[in-house]
Amino acid sequence: MSRRIHPSVAGAQPFQLAERDPEAPLFESAEGQERLQAVLSRYPTKQAALLPLLGYANELHGWVSKQDMESIAERLDLTPAYVWSVASFYTMYNKHPIGRHFIQVCTNISCHLNGAQRVLKRFLEETGTRPGETSEDGRYTVIEAECLGACGFATAVQINDEYHENVTPERVSQILAGLDGNGS
Amino acid sequence: MYGNVKTAELVSLRIDGTEISVPSNTSVIEAAEAVGVLVPRYCYHPGIPSRPAQCRVCLVEIEGQPKLQPSCNISVQEGMVVHTASEEARSARRSVIELLLVNHPLDCPICDAAGQCMLQDYAFETRQLASRLNEEKLVMGRDRIAEDILYFADRCIICTRCVRFMREVAEDDALIVAQRGYRAYIDTFPGAVLDNPFRGNIVDVCPVGALVHEDFLFKARFWDLDQTASVCPSCSTGCNVTIDTVENQIVRLKPRHNSEVNSYWMCDHGRKHLIMSNRGLRPEAPLLRRDGKLVPTGWGEALTWVAERLREVSRGMAIVSPHAANESLFYFRTLLDRIGIAGGTFRVEQGEEAILPGFPKLQLRADRAPNASGAELHGFERFDGGAHSDPGGDAVAVLEDPLGELPDEWGREASFFLYVGNRLSPAARNAHAILPVTTFAEMEGTFTNFEGRVQRFHQALQPAGLARPAWLVLARLVSLLEDGGDGGVAAPTLASEAFQVMVRATPAMADLEWASVGLKGARLGSTEAAVPHAQAPAEGA
Repeated sequence: MSRRIHPSVAGAQPFQLAERDPEAPLFESAEGQERLQAVLSRYPTKQAALLPLLGYANELHGWVSKQDMESIAERLDLTPAYVWSVASFYTMYNKHPIGRHFIQVCTNISCHLNGAQRVLKRFLEETGTRPGETSEDGRYTVIEAECLGACGFATAVQINDEYHENVTPERVSQILAGLDGNGS
Repeated sequence: MYGNVKTAELVSLRIDGTEISVPSNTSVIEAAEAVGVLVPRYCYHPGIPSRPAQCRVCLVEIEGQPKLQPSCNISVQEGMVVHTASEEARSARRSVIELLLVNHPLDCPICDAAGQCMLQDYAFETRQLASRLNEEKLVMGRDRIAEDILYFADRCIICTRCVRFMREVAEDDALIVAQRGYRAYIDTFPGAVLDNPFRGNIVDVCPVGALVHEDFLFKARFWDLDQTASVCPSCSTGCNVTIDTVENQIVRLKPRHNSEVNSYWMCDHGRKHLIMSNRGLRPEAPLLRRDGKLVPTGWGEALTWVAERLREVSRGMAIVSPHAANESLFYFRTLLDRIGIAGGTFRVEQGEEAILPGFPKLQLRADRAPNASGAELHGFERFDGGAHSDPGGDAVAVLEDPLGELPDEWGREASFFLYVGNRLSPAARNAHAILPVTTFAEMEGTFTNFEGRVQRFHQALQPAGLARPAWLVLARLVSLLEDGGDGGVAAPTLASEAFQVMVRATPAMADLEWASVGLKGARLGSTEAAVPHAQAPAEGA
């Protein structure tokens, strides 16, 4: 699964987009080292590099594990407790493993008015999960998301890095089938 | 703008109608304390350097300033006029308390902190007696923060005193705030527990009942505690403490502020050790050896008998304990001089050291006894060559050393074996006379700490049985030896009198007064000369 960068942000994201691989080592690889150095070179203190490195772990593994927090703490001369404090402050770092398809259904006002709750319900039914839970086959995690910034195209659904706009309950099966057809 | 903080010139201001002059680097909350106004506070703690001003309960009105100001991190300024209890300040405080109580479980009847809880106090003070909240309360549950400390998240007000104590004073960034907003709670790294040797202080700084010692959990209500000013006996630092007792049992030790010794803190070893060590078999009546057996008797008979036997003693050895009070050591020395035994030795248990980085004077020191300096001052010699040698056929006199790990037959051949102590170990049972004396917690007296600071402790417990302070017993023996006990030589009956006799007879202590030693202690005048080996163990034996 390769990811595409939208041209409008590509230039502003010099060190982004790791391939998601829950088993990959965080820093014990050429890419990991390169990423660590790239991040460190951009911040005045090691502590300041904490958020981007948590983001890197989140991208690479899909979530931030205890081991990830420990190895980040070690690289940045922080205590693991401090890293946990920061990671837990931000809701968008996943603290639990997620499925291969991380489905975020926007339920803020515009989407809500356009039937987001029904879309969410359908996603949960089709994947056989409860909110935040990963399906048994490891394919799907469905969560309710805050505003995805696509209010003009409600209901908006973000699956991994892809946006799906104007989603209706009827389109859910088709979207899910498309994901599987994607070979992942 | 705020003047030079280093020179700290005096500025005058008015707080609640009272004029006061304080150094310019004083905060308003501290200045208010100086005029007797205690502004409510949660996140502010005088021993923790940072002033995040995040609890918002110390807001005060300052004339000329459009908004209420947090008095903990605003410095005083010339001409400032402060109102800590104006309608505006009180109403802001009431709102803060109301919000803190939104998810608070109000479980005061089963909370350890009830009675010394700042949330309880201020809720009552601001008349927050009913909640306007109709929703369900958020239930967070509880967590084990350390082996011996529990965290009740529902009671927590996120003042972060504990987090900042660990970060700024213990310099161990192991305790943090996890999550945010109304879901925030105090946590360690997942799976980790707090194992810092000074972690117990987070319970003391907690203004509510969120952090509690499991040792004390449900043991007592605060109102039922008897509190006694004392000195921690578990190392040579001599932290000032309060001993809390219930029904003649020690239930906990809390640090008592002394800026010269321990600030607001103490170590966990000290907290636990006294409670744990105050166990074991105690002699509760004088025991005299008759026909090879120890027979209990009264004090009058025991002292007369011992005095008679001591008259026959001319040579022998002496052993003391660095846990004995200065007064006891002094009268033991006087008695030994009277019967002609010179010198004497003591052993100091050694342990691992630990330093509190934010207040480096506070250390858990290797010498695990409160009064090694006092023993040296009274002419006893530190001895660390293993076990005390057997006195053989000589006489031996022991003060308070439990003789714990000595062989059972130790001292059996002695011509006369006097044991003045509070433990009945096998070796101590070989004595001809056992005179039961109190532990330091059962008497009044003084210790001399590692740097020659003489500190008073008060009586927290009733003595076991007929046990009496060692100085009282020994002073009586001395006077019996001098005049046969007909009253010609008065023995002191109060600790203060014993102290005065000691001070007059001991040149190194000449400048001390019972009253001026007070609750904070006093340094010996010529410390270096008086206590040559205050910390380093002497070499050899």
